[in-house]
Amino acid sequence: MSGLRSWIARRLLLGVAQTVAVVLLVFVLTEALPGDAAVAFAGDQPDPERIAAVREAMGLDRPAHIRLGEWVGGLLHGDFGTSLASGRPVSGFLADGFGPTVLLATVTVLLLVPVGVGLGVLAARREGRFTDRLISSATLGVYAVPEFALGVLLVTVFALRLGWFPPTAVGYGTDLLAHPAALVLPVLVLLARPVCSLSRLVRAGMIDALAAPYTAHAQRYGIPGFRVRYAHALPNALAPATQQLARTVDWLLCGVVVVEALFVIPGLGTVLMNAVADRDIPVVQGLAVVFGLATVVLNLGADLVTHRLAPRSGVAA
Amino acid sequence: MKQDPVLADIDGLTVEVDGQVLVDRVGLRIRPGTVTALVGASGSGKTTTGLALLGEYPAGARVTGEVVVHGRIGFIPQHPASVLNPARRVGALLRDMARQQVRDLPRTRRRAAARQRVAEALADAQLPDAAELLRRYPHQLSGGQQQRVVLAQALLLGARVLVADEPTTGQDALTKRRVVDQLASVARRGIAVLLLSHDLDVVRELADEVVVMRGGRVVEKGPAHKVLENPVHPWTRELLAEPRTVPYAEEGRAGTEVLRVDGLVAHHGAGGSRVPVLRVAGLTLRTGECLAVVGRSGSGKTTLARCLAGLHRDHRGQVLLDGEPLPRSLRDRSREQLAAVQYVFQDARAAFDGHRPVLDQVARTAVRLRGAGREEATAEARRTLADLGLGDDLVRRLPGLLSGGELQRAALARALLARPRVLVCDEITSGLDPVTRRSLLDLLTVLVRQRDGLCVVLITHDLDTAAPATRIAVLDGGEVVEVGDREQILTAPRHPFTVALLRASTRRGSAVRP
Repeated sequence: MSGLRSWIARRLLLGVAQTVAVVLLVFVLTEALPGDAAVAFAGDQPDPERIAAVREAMGLDRPAHIRLGEWVGGLLHGDFGTSLASGRPVSGFLADGFGPTVLLATVTVLLLVPVGVGLGVLAARREGRFTDRLISSATLGVYAVPEFALGVLLVTVFALRLGWFPPTAVGYGTDLLAHPAALVLPVLVLLARPVCSLSRLVRAGMIDALAAPYTAHAQRYGIPGFRVRYAHALPNALAPATQQLARTVDWLLCGVVVVEALFVIPGLGTVLMNAVADRDIPVVQGLAVVFGLATVVLNLGADLVTHRLAPRSGVAA
Repeated sequence: MKQDPVLADIDGLTVEVDGQVLVDRVGLRIRPGTVTALVGASGSGKTTTGLALLGEYPAGARVTGEVVVHGRIGFIPQHPASVLNPARRVGALLRDMARQQVRDLPRTRRRAAARQRVAEALADAQLPDAAELLRRYPHQLSGGQQQRVVLAQALLLGARVLVADEPTTGQDALTKRRVVDQLASVARRGIAVLLLSHDLDVVRELADEVVVMRGGRVVEKGPAHKVLENPVHPWTRELLAEPRTVPYAEEGRAGTEVLRVDGLVAHHGAGGSRVPVLRVAGLTLRTGECLAVVGRSGSGKTTLARCLAGLHRDHRGQVLLDGEPLPRSLRDRSREQLAAVQYVFQDARAAFDGHRPVLDQVARTAVRLRGAGREEATAEARRTLADLGLGDDLVRRLPGLLSGGELQRAALARALLARPRVLVCDEITSGLDPVTRRSLLDLLTVLVRQRDGLCVVLITHDLDTAAPATRIAVLDGGEVVEVGDREQILTAPRHPFTVALLRASTRRGSAVRP
């Protein structure tokens, strides 16, 4: 167990280093972009004098490394800095965008896991037969449709033609839970591809697990079929699916820009998009820190679960 | 003859898959407390018959005949680990089984009753310290513990018949001993044991009834003493023939030194967990001799073989060929050095690419290691394979269509095409039935005697296989505890471990006493 603990500690340290690297990379790349917050602020009247004035007011005329140093110093005290574009604290931006994104991600994952695993197990049980072929071809087909295309299609049919759901979340603010109808279409779009990849992975693992001698042994000794499938075979099929699930949750938590933009949901994706457009470096960096940490923690969790499901495989940092 | 009621009755059982008959009109009766041994070479239909008792048949099988079983049946497969779920703790299946049995009890008492049953089954299977054991994963158990857990499952089931499939195949003498004792104690509990085995030592010791199978048919059956002592059918006689005693190499022909191991210390693992697993202060191989390396599983036999062949680099000390040190890694060895030390693996099937004909793969050695032309190499491969008894139409097939024994011969041929000085044979006969094993060892004898300057390192856990070697090295816990001529080791062992190994080998017949 102490081996496992030191492994977790090493992984977390490595994760912090990776997050630092991501933040540095984001800073350098945003610096490298033509234009800065002052140019974006000046908007339609790119008067060089005015830009210089704004730049001085924002403190952008100071060397890059000093600005970065200040920002890092603040971060160590839990201060994400101040937005250049609006002057509001970055943490406020993050907090506002976090709610809708987490809500969308939670609802999606709560539906994704049972549907994905259930379809995968069902397809594996009926391997090669009609049900399996139906599930396999449907999942492959849906997987091939990108989010924006599926989103536009769903909006056209269910919102504009049939009028069942609102086409966007405009006007609902950040409190989307009060308007569940507005969540249906975005969640469907978010679910579509992850369900496919998850169910295909579960199907592949489950076919192997169902054919394994230990499964036959459990059946032979009178364990009921449902329990054999879900308690004895399924744990062996889940290791690859767990990794995929972690990537999916990560993708969801980092704000799926396309979906948030399409349905006008004020989540982290929208915050990111606006911040990049405004060259609002502190906000972009704050997001990079949050996304980086989320990725590190989720992957660590997935590796721990995988280790539990496939205890023979060693843990490698 | 006991006149107990019949627990299981197979009558006129025929199993066909795609028109191929696996089992042909087999009849069998099993009585409580007896051990019925089903013996025969690989592919004789033993396992198909055994699984038929469990009501399990190969996919797409056409089954005729009758199988009547009274009571539940337990199963111990050849590899117990294969039926233990790698993702669940050992206790998971046991607990689920016990829960099925206590469903009639009131809800509050089920848990305790189930736990009680599991504990009893484990105790019956001679597994002490059960509570701790149940929390472990199968890979954290030793092979013996795995086998006992599988036995405990059968006992928990309340099995009245136990089918044990090759429980001792590929095990060293001391492990075999333990398995035999265990099965004997199961039979004493009144459980009928159906033993599927080609290990005749075990059959001799345990069986009350013997059924000899060949090509899916029963060729002879009867009480054990009758069948084993006075076999009627010629096939049974061939199966029962004594292991070979003629030495592999001609006596007194050992010549000059070929290979020398000097101060070898091999390690396993990496980083902080790097542990020494093998120490060999010195070992010499001479032309024309056969050195057998014996020891239990995990004693370092294979690591030694792998160090010689350059497959295990993590070692100190030197391996010298003709006085020249060989590079540790195979990657750094020259073509001549690679050709000089050839390795034949235990699992011949895994050692061949399943998608290319055997002949091409055998010929490739001569092209790669000796720079022979394609045509020339193929011709030589065909000749060598024919010498080893593999016909032309056979070797043009894919490896999947050859039997284990045939593939092992092909693997030998492949190594020979390099014209090696040292041939390392790693457990090449384990898992083969006695008839196939004998013919493979006969072949090895011909090779050692005919090929000038060849020396063979024979890694084995089987004393009968090691006995005809020129010299024997005994390994225990990574140390060479004794090296000597065959006569000295077999008749006057000096080290206590060698003595224990000889004693555990149940039948120290003519093979071991030259």
